[in-house]
Formats: sequence, structure tokens, C-alpha cells
Amino acid sequence: MNWAGTARTIIVCALMIVLQYTLRPLLAWRASIDFLVIALLLGSVRMRPGAAAVYGFLLGLVADSLDTGGFGAAALAMSLVGFSASWLKAVFFADNLALNGFFLFLAKWVFDLIFLVAGRHAHGAELAMQIFVWSPLSAAVTAVAGVIVLSLLKPLMDVRTA
Amino acid sequence: MANAARLGNRVDAGLLIGCVVLSLVAVVLKQEDREPIAGALRRTIVAPLVGLQRGAERWRTAWASREQQQAVLDSLSLRAVNAAALKGENDHLRKLLGLGSRLQWGFVPAEALHNTAPGSEDLVTTLTLTAGSIAGIKKFSPVVAPEGLVGTIQTADPTMSIAILYTNPDFRASAVAADGTTFGIVYPHPDGGGGSDAYLLELRGVPTRSILRPGTVIYTSGLGGTFPRGITIGTVVQELKTAEVWTRTYLVRPAVAPSHITSVLVLMPQRVTQGTGNVWGAAVNADSASRRIVAAGDSVGRQAAALEAQARAAVLDSVRRATADSVRRLLGAVPVAPPGSAPATPTTQTAPAVRDTSAARRPATPRRDSTRPDTARIRPT
Repeated sequence: MNWAGTARTIIVCALMIVLQYTLRPLLAWRASIDFLVIALLLGSVRMRPGAAAVYGFLLGLVADSLDTGGFGAAALAMSLVGFSASWLKAVFFADNLALNGFFLFLAKWVFDLIFLVAGRHAHGAELAMQIFVWSPLSAAVTAVAGVIVLSLLKPLMDVRTA
Repeated sequence: MANAARLGNRVDAGLLIGCVVLSLVAVVLKQEDREPIAGALRRTIVAPLVGLQRGAERWRTAWASREQQQAVLDSLSLRAVNAAALKGENDHLRKLLGLGSRLQWGFVPAEALHNTAPGSEDLVTTLTLTAGSIAGIKKFSPVVAPEGLVGTIQTADPTMSIAILYTNPDFRASAVAADGTTFGIVYPHPDGGGGSDAYLLELRGVPTRSILRPGTVIYTSGLGGTFPRGITIGTVVQELKTAEVWTRTYLVRPAVAPSHITSVLVLMPQRVTQGTGNVWGAAVNADSASRRIVAAGDSVGRQAAALEAQARAAVLDSVRRATADSVRRLLGAVPVAPPGSAPATPTTQTAPAVRDTSAARRPATPRRDSTRPDTARIRPT
């Protein structure tokens, strides 16, 4: 990836991070869009797995710093998701938007799973409800938002993954 | 090449392991150990994001509060509209209750249902009432409201009835003016036009010698037996020019607005027969009473005048007596008034003064022209 592509990726990821802290509180949905996961995946598929893990770790730390409990859980989850996304980019990231949407859905769900378990945010039935109801819903909304973002920014980020 | 790839993979795995280990360390850190790290992040890197989030939260709060305020405003507006309608209905029901309490008996309350069928005429001429023959309503029973006459029953079904209003072309009512002497027949005004003028009435057949001023209240006369005497029909607006020579026709504005009728009372035949009395405050019923009041006032006036005349006579008498006494006193006569008596003063006593003339009487001296006792002929006994 050349410098221009890197700059575009940084801008788009920064835009997603800004949306995470502006549009998401404004919407305040119960099953909300996770723009950080979108930013993580958009950046990870353009990095090596190790760098993607570090990128996810840093994003997770940012998220954890604003969370009252479970510090490090988001960093752990994003590290793993970023590494996995970078490692599996050749498999999943094609031109098919539906496939990209499914990949986003899976990434968000796995992130929530790791985040909830590692951060001990919920227990028992509440944890099950969160994992099997709210997390899939949030993942679906995130996938839809991610597909829309990919469609809008396709001319800008026309980088074919190898 | 393969070595480089393997090296890259090892670096990647190492970085992943490092991140995972650091994350796990952060997870297992105690609260007091993790808070300085999180605080440092919040104060440095994440500070702009915190500012953005705070602004977004404020926007959302403002939006939510605006929605709540708008909802409150809408609720208040709706309540205000409902309150006005409820107030009007409450006033009408209070008046109806007052009318019912004044009538006391011989009536059936009913709700008036307006014809809402599409294409119905603009002029309301009939009403459907929620009471029928089971409740005692019969054909031609008068329908009244607290303001006055509404109409009459045209059809009485068991549970409902249909009333024609005074706007119906078939409506007639014998009427009398408030003075109780001017009679006529009330008809619907055929050229009512639109708006409020659509519900005007005509008072026809008024004798030419009878002139009604605008504002004169018209009541049912009780003639004909359909309506009892004294139900308010309306007020005279003006005289209408007609071809009639011996009678006058007046335009009458009804007391009841048909579009505002929601509840009415239907008078029973017994009530019609026995009359309603002064329920509507009819001057026609109060006419005789007012005449009696005027007559009573006249008698009181006459009595007051008589008393005043008596008092005036007493005063004159006292003055005359005082003058006579003064003259006598000047002539050296014995004082007229006995000792201890009050001086003669004008008084308003109605009883005539009684003079005590015994003290003022001259001493018994022989008069020249009187018969001397010695010269009197003594009749031999």
C-alpha cells in the first residue's frame, strides 16, 4: 500500500473513530453501531497481522479508557479481531458486499463475546441475553453500517486485498 | 524469501502475543492500578474524543428535552381545547339541570344527536333524541332547552324520537310578546340566508295597532295546546315589510342555537296542560304580578299621601291654636296651655289635636244679655 492509500485509510479510520464518539451517543440505540470495529477492520485488512493486532490493541485501549470497568477487555478483543481480520483478509474481503457485511457481523459478535467474557460485564442469564440477543443485533446493525460505509467510500478505498 | 515470510509470521505472532499478554495484564490489574493508566489516556489521547462525546450527549439531551417540551406543549394545547369544549358542555348541562330543577316534574331529558350523514343539508331542521315513547314522549311533545323553545316531536319511536326544530318549514307556534297583549304566530324565516341568519323566525299576524320594539322578548302564548305558555322563543329584531295591511310581521332571533344543542328536555302532555309557570322568567307570566306590584305601590302611595295630608292638617291646626293663644295672651287672658304642658309646636301627628279649653275659659261673670236670675219668672210651685 502506497502513501496515498495509507493516508486515505488513516482518514477513513479517523472518521470512523469520530463517528463512534459523535453519532453513536447521538443515536443512543440499544443495539448500537460499533464504528470502532468498522475502523478496525478497514485498517486491519491493509496491514500485516502483527500490525493489525497492535492497531486493535491501541483502539481497544482508547475504548477501555472511557469504560468504567473491564479495562483491557476491549484491547484484548480488538487485538484478536484485528489479527484475525488481517490474517483472513484474503479469504473474506472480496468485492462482494454481502460477504463483507457477514465478515463485519462476525467480527463484531466475536468482539462482544470476548469483551463480555474477559471484562466480566455480565453473568448468567444476562450474559446469555447479551451474547445471543443484543450482540447479534448490534453486530447486524454494525454490518449494515459497515456495508454502507464501504459502498460510499469504495472509490476512495479501492484497494484490492491480495 | 521463505525465511523472511517465516520471520514475518513470527513477528506477527509475537506482536499478537504481546498485545494479548498486555491486555490480560490490564484486565487483571486492580482498580487502583488501572485507573492511573486510564486517566492518563483520557487526559491526553482520548481527550478530544471525550469532548466530542460530551458534545454529542448534550445535543441528544437537548433534542430529548425539546421533544419532551413539545410533547408537554401539545398535551397542554389539547387539554386547553378539550377544556373549552368541556366548559361549554358543563355550562349547558348546568343550565339544563337548573331548568330541570325549576320544572320539577313532567319532563324527559334526552340527548340530541345531530344528523351527520354526508350530504345532509346545512340548515339543521331535525334532531334525533335518545328517548322515545317508552319514556313517555308522544307526538307533538314540546322540546325545550334552558334558553327556550327548540321544537316539537315529530316521530316517537319506543327508544328514540325525532324532533323538528323551529327551522323546519312545518313548524308553527302561537306566540305572545312580553307585554302579554300582542299575539302572533311564529314561522320559520324562509329567507334566512347563511350563517346565524339562517335560523331566524317570523312573528306574523300581529295587529297593526301593536308595535313591538327591537329586543322585545317573544314567548309561547299557550294557545292551541301544543306549547305551554311562557317558553322563550326569541327576541324581536326588526319589522318586516309585507303586503299585509291589517297585520304586522316581525323578524325574531331565536333564543336557542340549533347547532349548539346537545341535550334537551321533552315536556310531557300533563306538563303542557298544567303549564310551566315562570320557568323561563317570562314577563308574560309576570305581567299580572307586576301589575299587582304596581297597584300595591299605588295603594302605598295613596296611604302615604293621606298620612301626609293628615299631618299637614294637624300642623295647621296647631299653628292656628298657637296664634289664638298668643292673641289671647296679649289681651291679658289666662294662658291657654295648662301648667306643665308642652308648648304648641308643629307636629306630624296624624290624630287631630284635642284642645283643653277649660283653663282658658272666662270666669263665670253675668252677661248683660243674659237673663238675670232675679228677673226670671219664677214658676209657682
